[in-house]
Amino acid sequence: MSASLSTRTLGVDTTRSAAGPIPFSRLVGVEWTKATDTRAARWLLAIVALSTVGMMLAPILAPKRFDQTYTGYLEVASIPQVLFLPVVAILMLTGEWSHRSVITTFTQEPRRIRVVTAKVAAALMLGTGAAVFGGVVTAAGLGVATASGRTIEGSLSVGDITGYLLYLLLNVLGGVAVGALVHSSATAIAAYFSLNIAVALLGTASTLIADWIDTATTWTWVLDNDWGGHAPQVAVSTLVWVVIPLVAGVVRTQRRDIG
Amino acid sequence: MRRRTRRFTLELMITTTALTKSYQDVPVVRDVSLRCEPGTITGFLGANGAGKSTTLKMIVGLARPDRGTATIDGRPFVELPNPTRVVGMLLDASAMHPGRSGRSTLTIAARMAGVHPRRVDHLLDLVGLTDAADKRVGAYSLGMRQRLGIAQALIGEPLALILDEPANGLDPEGIAWMRTLLRDFADHGGTVLLSSHLLHEVQATVDHLVVISGGAVVAAGRLDDLLASTTILVRSPDPVALSAALRAARIDYVAGPGDAFTVDVADGWVTTEVLAGVARDHHVLLTELRQSETNGLEQLFFSLTNAPAREVAA
Repeated sequence: MSASLSTRTLGVDTTRSAAGPIPFSRLVGVEWTKATDTRAARWLLAIVALSTVGMMLAPILAPKRFDQTYTGYLEVASIPQVLFLPVVAILMLTGEWSHRSVITTFTQEPRRIRVVTAKVAAALMLGTGAAVFGGVVTAAGLGVATASGRTIEGSLSVGDITGYLLYLLLNVLGGVAVGALVHSSATAIAAYFSLNIAVALLGTASTLIADWIDTATTWTWVLDNDWGGHAPQVAVSTLVWVVIPLVAGVVRTQRRDIG
Repeated sequence: MRRRTRRFTLELMITTTALTKSYQDVPVVRDVSLRCEPGTITGFLGANGAGKSTTLKMIVGLARPDRGTATIDGRPFVELPNPTRVVGMLLDASAMHPGRSGRSTLTIAARMAGVHPRRVDHLLDLVGLTDAADKRVGAYSLGMRQRLGIAQALIGEPLALILDEPANGLDPEGIAWMRTLLRDFADHGGTVLLSSHLLHEVQATVDHLVVISGGAVVAAGRLDDLLASTTILVRSPDPVALSAALRAARIDYVAGPGDAFTVDVADGWVTTEVLAGVARDHHVLLTELRQSETNGLEQLFFSLTNAPAREVAA
């Protein structure tokens, strides 16, 4: 610890020109780092990865119970991913409120909408990474199944693959939107799952809810690349689960006093 | 030799004008106006709950005032393109991710500010955290977090510092270290605004003082002026003659401490010189005549903050 300081160390450089705004790419990079550089974050990502690999054993070990098709294997990979990725996404949005480091973040970039947008972008990058990983795991699973002499039917079209990617990203956005609106991690996670379950239950009583609101139905059409007549339903459910809470969350974040 | 190369067109670094805020109809900050000049350290002094933190948060855009404005370097904080290059802040040393190391925390701040990563090591050394740099912040003591917070505030090579209770958790050695650091920063043309409820800490550090109570500024000015306007201690071997002389000169006084008298000089016209003249005119021998120094600021602080605080609570 040194008490004598050079001017440079103190950095009171009164003649330098004003620094420019923070580039958006830098904000996204920093948010990506924050989402991946702590032990807790890495455990969570490891759980997503391990559960994807573990789940892939199911259609290999229990061939009677799972469709032995290319798309069937890809859907298996998505099952644990859409369970855990929204939680990762929620924590990416709420984590800084829980640790109160928003005090630092929003004084570094007071245009809070840019920070939220950067977090959303980082979450989508993570979702894309998870999709690539899921694709690799699916390919490995298919390889093992084929090597064991099993016949796998069908093939994977570009539509199947983009459907899978979109399905993951929509689920990530569902988590992002809840996290952006509800700033407490625990409350956001509880709200996310209980609302999904509640809508699923209501869906059993009302096909209107099941077909227009329940993303377990509508987003599965996206996964299945089954857009025939479903585009409005996908749009409406995405409006309800992503657009509205995300916009409300941005407004709330902009206005909220941080104490 | 102070290096004051700042452009002179804009002398004020931090200003607030009539900042006012209520939470659920309870006024927390009322008409607070501050002015901090380059090269000075301004102490923002008040009891806990007096409105210090809320005022600082309004200055840096974390809380929105109901009325009033605040500027940093001539513009509202939220309009600064990259604020940490202009003003470094330590508002809450416990508001850091506990799972990140001190080095990672500073590295993220350096990236946001757009400064060279090497500055992280400079600052870790400066605040004495080099050996603990790779430990998780969750394992840091409050004093270590406070040091890390100071380093984070300095990361963007700012022109100004806003520090909320920076001495919290620091040991006496650490407080002395910070005093030196802030003085150096100000002597190099930097502007410091720091809040405290620790009177002696402020007294030894600041040039200017703003005392807040019940959300309102109750005293503001140069520290020397505020201290000088309290009381004078006057002592004579013949207290009876002295008291008669003071009464004859219509000077209010109270007896004590000991056999001395304490003269209130708040109204301004009584000085040590006046008292010496009174003693001479009445042929009273003085053995002591000086500004009361014992806890001068403490007396000021309590006299200024107690009455308005009750008023607000009522």
